[in-house]
Amino acid sequence: MQKSRRFFSALNKRELLLPALFLAPAIAVLLALSIYPLIYSITISLQQGTAAGVTWGLGNFTRLLSDNFFLTALAHTFVYAVSALTCEFLLGLGLALLLNKQIRGRGVFRASLLIPMMLPAVVVGVIWRLMLNPNFGAINETLKRLGINTASLTWTASPKLAMLSVIAVDVWQWTPFVFLVLLAGLQAIPPEPYEAALIDGSSRWQTFWHVTLPLLKPSILIVLLLRTMDLLRVFDQIFILTEGGPGFATETISLYIYRTAFRFFDFGYAAAMSFVLLALTNVISAIYIKFLHAKETI
Amino acid sequence: MRRKIAQGSRYALLTVALLFSLAPAYWMLTISLKTEVDQFASPPPWFSFTPTLEHYYDAFVTRGFGEYLFTSVIVAVASTACALVIGTLAAYALARFELPWRLNRRLSLWILSTRMFPAIVTAVPLFLMMRDVQLLNTRASLIIVYTGFNLPFVVWMMRGFFADLPRDLEEAALVDGDSRLGALVRVVLPLVSPGLAATAVFCLIVSWNEFLFALVLTQTDAAMTLPVGIAGRVTQYEIKWGVMSAAATVAIIPILMFALAVQKYLVRGLSMGAVKG
Amino acid sequence: MRVTFYLVLAFLIVLTSCTGNHQKQLTLAVVSGVEGEALKQAASDYEKQTGIHIDIAEFPYTNLFEKELIDLKAHTGAYDLIMLDDPWFPRFAHEQVLTELTPLLKKRGQSGPDSDFVATSLALCRHPYQTGSLYALPYVGNSQLFFYRKDLFEKYLMKAPLTWDDVLAAAKTIQEKETAGAKGGQVYGYVERAAQGNAAVADFMPIFWAFGAEMFDANGKPTVNSPQGIAALEFMIELGKYSPPGYVSFNADDVGAHLLQGTAAMSINWPAWISSFSDQSKSKVIGKMEFTTLPDGQKSGQAEIGNWLIAIPRESRNAEAAVDFLLWAASAEQMKRSALRGNPPTRKSLFQDPELVAKFPAYPAQLRSLESSRPRPRTPYWNEIENAFGIFLSKANSGDLTPEEAMNQANAEIEKILQRAQ
Repeated sequence: MQKSRRFFSALNKRELLLPALFLAPAIAVLLALSIYPLIYSITISLQQGTAAGVTWGLGNFTRLLSDNFFLTALAHTFVYAVSALTCEFLLGLGLALLLNKQIRGRGVFRASLLIPMMLPAVVVGVIWRLMLNPNFGAINETLKRLGINTASLTWTASPKLAMLSVIAVDVWQWTPFVFLVLLAGLQAIPPEPYEAALIDGSSRWQTFWHVTLPLLKPSILIVLLLRTMDLLRVFDQIFILTEGGPGFATETISLYIYRTAFRFFDFGYAAAMSFVLLALTNVISAIYIKFLHAKETI
Repeated sequence: MRRKIAQGSRYALLTVALLFSLAPAYWMLTISLKTEVDQFASPPPWFSFTPTLEHYYDAFVTRGFGEYLFTSVIVAVASTACALVIGTLAAYALARFELPWRLNRRLSLWILSTRMFPAIVTAVPLFLMMRDVQLLNTRASLIIVYTGFNLPFVVWMMRGFFADLPRDLEEAALVDGDSRLGALVRVVLPLVSPGLAATAVFCLIVSWNEFLFALVLTQTDAAMTLPVGIAGRVTQYEIKWGVMSAAATVAIIPILMFALAVQKYLVRGLSMGAVKG
Repeated sequence: MRVTFYLVLAFLIVLTSCTGNHQKQLTLAVVSGVEGEALKQAASDYEKQTGIHIDIAEFPYTNLFEKELIDLKAHTGAYDLIMLDDPWFPRFAHEQVLTELTPLLKKRGQSGPDSDFVATSLALCRHPYQTGSLYALPYVGNSQLFFYRKDLFEKYLMKAPLTWDDVLAAAKTIQEKETAGAKGGQVYGYVERAAQGNAAVADFMPIFWAFGAEMFDANGKPTVNSPQGIAALEFMIELGKYSPPGYVSFNADDVGAHLLQGTAAMSINWPAWISSFSDQSKSKVIGKMEFTTLPDGQKSGQAEIGNWLIAIPRESRNAEAAVDFLLWAASAEQMKRSALRGNPPTRKSLFQDPELVAKFPAYPAQLRSLESSRPRPRTPYWNEIENAFGIFLSKANSGDLTPEEAMNQANAEIEKILQRAQ
């Protein structure tokens, strides 16, 4: 497919008007909703309020380095994000490969797998809290019936298991999203490359690795980007499930920022932390894009 | 024979995945129908209990969850519609026009980056902003904010769909004397409608389930959405599981209906774009 | 499919039209739960009586604080009356976002709040504590009680627990010997709640105080890592061995559920739970629970007070109307109605009212508890302190830190918080 017409260079003002008009509303809305908060956050992150008054400086940022809570929360966030992403990706990919063939009732499977994504995080948090209750919850009850001793399986109460529980809930809720996007990507792949591979005598594994995956890159990229951004910012369901406990075991950076901003009303510090998070997210996204930037391979 | 085993195991795996996905939702449904004693019984009855509609009555008649539902519907639909219109226009411009100074790439990245800032910190400045323009505690403030949330996603998705579309049909329309906008609406949009549907569903879900801003920007029932109302069932001493589950069950019905209606297009729509970078 | 679609749509439309149409005149922010319910009822009674409509905004406990503080600090004037849990009060008063009530009372011919209010409750409403100006009125007079299964105590020939050592011994006995229900499920001797934050701290303070420990010394320096403090924490962990597994994340609702289901025999708890124990639809232990004052340690048992106060924001545009409502709702007659709905009152006369005592036999115990109770430290930084302290308590209970380490680190953290405030 050739590009049949080149559009014009910048110098022709008349031709710029139309795209400018098309882009204007979006840019206006996003500017309004992001510029003021950004300026406000920058300003306030550079301020420290004390009984004496307001002092300007990088105090909030230097405080971050010696704040154990912050560093721990950051570590937790990474553990959470990496684990959840890996599971969601592998499961989502597996499911997508499974459903890529013609199976009866495919529509039903697809529609039902959507349900977890559609529940509000508040509800997800509450339902799982009930299910994970060590004494009344459905999970432990089922395990007991299978003969497993659940005395030490206190899930959200156990410092060792709490993170696992919280990750499991996220995987439960968001694997469908990964699955949908990857499935779409799989279905967009035309039959020709597969036929060519077949002719070449590739094994199924080789076909998968050398044909399917590369062609899936655009979808993989979007999934990784979106999920990573969301995982790094995760808040709602952890807040309801464990509120960061037990003993800080599941406190992620967003929870800590929330607490700092809304319980302690230390907005400057919260803003400083958010900038750090923003910087990290940017770096990671840049890495993804560089690594996975899909060039046309056909 | 091997074929059959493969098929069989495929079905088995899928069924397991299905059960795993649906069991908690089923559990929520049963909670909404159980009396309070049954809810905490140990072992919890999965199937054998006498159902009751008292929680639904409590939620919607006694406590006026209907109002929350109404607000949620208006806010979600309006913000999705706005995001789709504004976003599609922008996406089209980014896909079809080659802008100077590599603006295509730069603008796309900037638009995506607005999604990265942790919402918690933008909550306070946005709260102050809304207060200053007298929009606090109104549905309008939520609609504006959610449109902003959904825009990046819409732009990225639609740009991919547009980029994939061959230009011939539009060119033909232009040659025939149609304006750019007309070509967009009459020729291009119908072709990407599955993609639009898919994007719309995601936007609706995001707006429908959003919690933090709904909490911060609303102060009375006039503008509260369902998630805030549901969270309010977590009292200091006990969680009103019954009312909460009843409200939550009803909360997912509209989305479920819409998703079921468009799920055929969902996958087709997503596969059309398979977003390019 | 189409038909179902329209049917469901119609159903939803019917649901959404179950809303009211109000003209608003006063706005009240309440906490969701039994306390908020009582105030909601009072508001609707008030409307019937005076025609003034009160709009209620209800929030879960975990979000009410920030919701109120952010609105008040931003001077939005959205609320005319707010409910405050007493530990939050110093912060609000410190930020100067509340209206002083004494001038408004004087305008109505009262020199101050009347003497029927329990002294400890009223003291909470002044900033500085006890001696300063009045910024709120107390509405729900909660102070902790000790709950125990008198039937099990009788069964094992134990006397009512008077000291914490009694409690520990009794917990051991009950747990070793008792099983629940036909299936022989475990009955735990005690149930603690140690979810980080408010849950852990609220239940720990009585033990802490009973062991003779104090959070701050006379100069305001933190002393949680005193030998008594560490001993108190060790005791809490010891008692935790007789609590259901997972107590490290328990909140009030988990504790309540265990007591109601009969799977735990003792606990510290708030009086608001008492009515649930006689509720057929919730309780499996009807008539078996006894409520008394808190056990003694080295020092005599002091309950922690946990009242709900009602205050008027500075920015309220209807302060006069709000005060009228407040005085009406806090009057003996109206408070009695609230009490009948399960909220302990803050007026002495009501604790002694025969009708109420007949319905709530624990009232005498509650009054004793309330009058001898003490509040959590009155500092505007209580939220941060409670948060930090709660984290370390939780870590000690889950075994992450030894009691000594936990208390030392907690102390250091509290020092940091206070330093930042300078």
